[in-house]
Amino acid sequence: MVQRVNRKIGLILTLLSIGYLYMSYQLPTYLYIPLDADAVPKTLGWVLLVLSIALIFSKDSDSEEQKAKRQIPKTDVKALLGVGALLLIYIILFETLGFIIMTVLFVYFCSWFLGYKNHSVNAFVSIVFPVALYSIFVFMLQIKLPQGILPF
Amino acid sequence: MGAIEGILTGFEVAFSWEGILFVLLGVFVGTFIGMLPGLGPISAIAIMIPITYGMDPTLALVMMAGVYYGAVFGGSTSSILLNAPGISGTVASSFDGYPMAQQGKAGKALAIAAISSFAGGTISVVLLMIFAPMLASVAISFGPPAYFALMLLGLTAIASLSEGSTIKALISAVVGFMVATIGIDPQTGTGRFTFGSMNLLDGIDFLVIALGLFAIAEVCYLVMNRHKSSAGSGKEIGSLKLSKEDAKEMSGPVGRQSLLGFILGILPGAGATIASFISYIAEKRIAKKPEEFGKGSVKGLAAPEASNNAATSGAFVPLLSLGIPGSGTTAVMLGAFLVLGLQPGPMLMGDHPEVFWGIIASMYIGNIFLLVLNLPLIPYIARILTIPRPLLISLVLMFSLIGVYAISFSVFDLYLLLAFGVIGFLMRMFAFPAPPFILAFILGGMMEQSLRQSMTISNGSISIMFENNISLVLIILSVLSFAFPIAKSIWSKKKAS
Repeated sequence: MVQRVNRKIGLILTLLSIGYLYMSYQLPTYLYIPLDADAVPKTLGWVLLVLSIALIFSKDSDSEEQKAKRQIPKTDVKALLGVGALLLIYIILFETLGFIIMTVLFVYFCSWFLGYKNHSVNAFVSIVFPVALYSIFVFMLQIKLPQGILPF
Repeated sequence: MGAIEGILTGFEVAFSWEGILFVLLGVFVGTFIGMLPGLGPISAIAIMIPITYGMDPTLALVMMAGVYYGAVFGGSTSSILLNAPGISGTVASSFDGYPMAQQGKAGKALAIAAISSFAGGTISVVLLMIFAPMLASVAISFGPPAYFALMLLGLTAIASLSEGSTIKALISAVVGFMVATIGIDPQTGTGRFTFGSMNLLDGIDFLVIALGLFAIAEVCYLVMNRHKSSAGSGKEIGSLKLSKEDAKEMSGPVGRQSLLGFILGILPGAGATIASFISYIAEKRIAKKPEEFGKGSVKGLAAPEASNNAATSGAFVPLLSLGIPGSGTTAVMLGAFLVLGLQPGPMLMGDHPEVFWGIIASMYIGNIFLLVLNLPLIPYIARILTIPRPLLISLVLMFSLIGVYAISFSVFDLYLLLAFGVIGFLMRMFAFPAPPFILAFILGGMMEQSLRQSMTISNGSISIMFENNISLVLIILSVLSFAFPIAKSIWSKKKAS
């Protein structure tokens, strides 16, 4: 099992190193430069290729704890994908709706989605933290965060 | 400026009201984050970096250093109370700390951990004060070949000392280096691996990688363990008082392991985790009653606690004097220096004595704060462990997102953060260590620059690497540190067969 996992990862990394090497060999070179922009990438590409092949044939076994980390129950996969989807929505609408609106909604719905049912505490935390952070960044540190549709 | 004036400048910074305030803030936040299972010093420092924008660099770094050793200190609380170490450097503390807590002596265990950490931290700061300037004065004569060799040693050492497969650790380091090559090459102006995207011309910001690989990846595991209760953290912790016998028993291990921890902290690739394990094993070997270890031994708790805190200060020696981090955490600290417009290294002591000495001097105060704050407040601070996981997850995600956006003002970087979060999660899932990745990413650009400078000096001849004694020794050490784990595994296989 471990070897099969290593073999699959090794193959993916081999393909990655070949792709990286291909791009490294496309980099332009210039005369009179002892070490051009392509030298280090080419070396790294070859080293990764060798290591990836070594991983394919390696017999080292991971600990039981590490193997257990690979078994993700379906409910957890759904939870991870759900949080990922919320993050994507957050990023897509971040600049349009603004930091405060999106962060308040994100913190509230993410906590709720993950099973936190105390709505009043959730609402309090979801409003206080983003507003406090926005105030610190915008008014104290003079770092502009997207205000979106809000007037401030 | 001489050393004495430098030290005085450092204490002036550390004892100013702003210095005291930011040290206090740093150690408190560090203790808070370090205590939370999974979130270690790397995440703590990375999350705090955006808060330092616009701050005075000296005070910002004093605070970040406080976050670092505060997180190591805080990690022990969850090890002792929950057997769920906040950071890997405090895993060894749970071996005897948790059994003690189960015996109803959690208060005593926390007091031993706090006093040992204080002693380890303070002894090592004295050593840091002696050794960092000494090393800096030697390093000032290092040329590009020696610097390249030193960074190579840092990378091979962290890869070979990482937990698990050496091949995976090396792959992690190589991929980290590859990511560092993205963007415009500073010497020739060639765009490398940008795929025609304007967003990648400046390369990828280190905060995206640090928060993605560590904070976001850890959030994924928190999501999977979101229903786990923190039961036990709210129970009575008992008396914090130590008897004379306890004090006598811990004095030996604390003294010995503070020294060992400091030395191991200096070495590239070692750090708090390895230091704490080695100290635990060393004390067990020399103990008169080794059978007591693992069952609530005072020595078994004092040794790793003194050692991991001493290693934290030790790790500052190569960072401050050479400008080269020896671990993932100090790599992120180096990133914090760069964000604040400072380059640590041999010139730092002369160019910015207030930063160099200010950080060191602040550690004395920081360690006192940790002791004073933590001993009486531990029962209250430990309530942090009862924060509902869903809320914690949402807030860590929020801090990570705002941190990345505030450094680049680019939504593209938020997508990258998400992508590196997924990569970090997969790396953990398939046992690829993340510290070699972040170290290689941070050192990558510097290594390439040193190599190119060396090649320019030698007109393209690689022999320059072997002409200088320092670089030659460092390259030999790099090869040895790379070959040692391979030889060891072949030898152990032969022995087994």
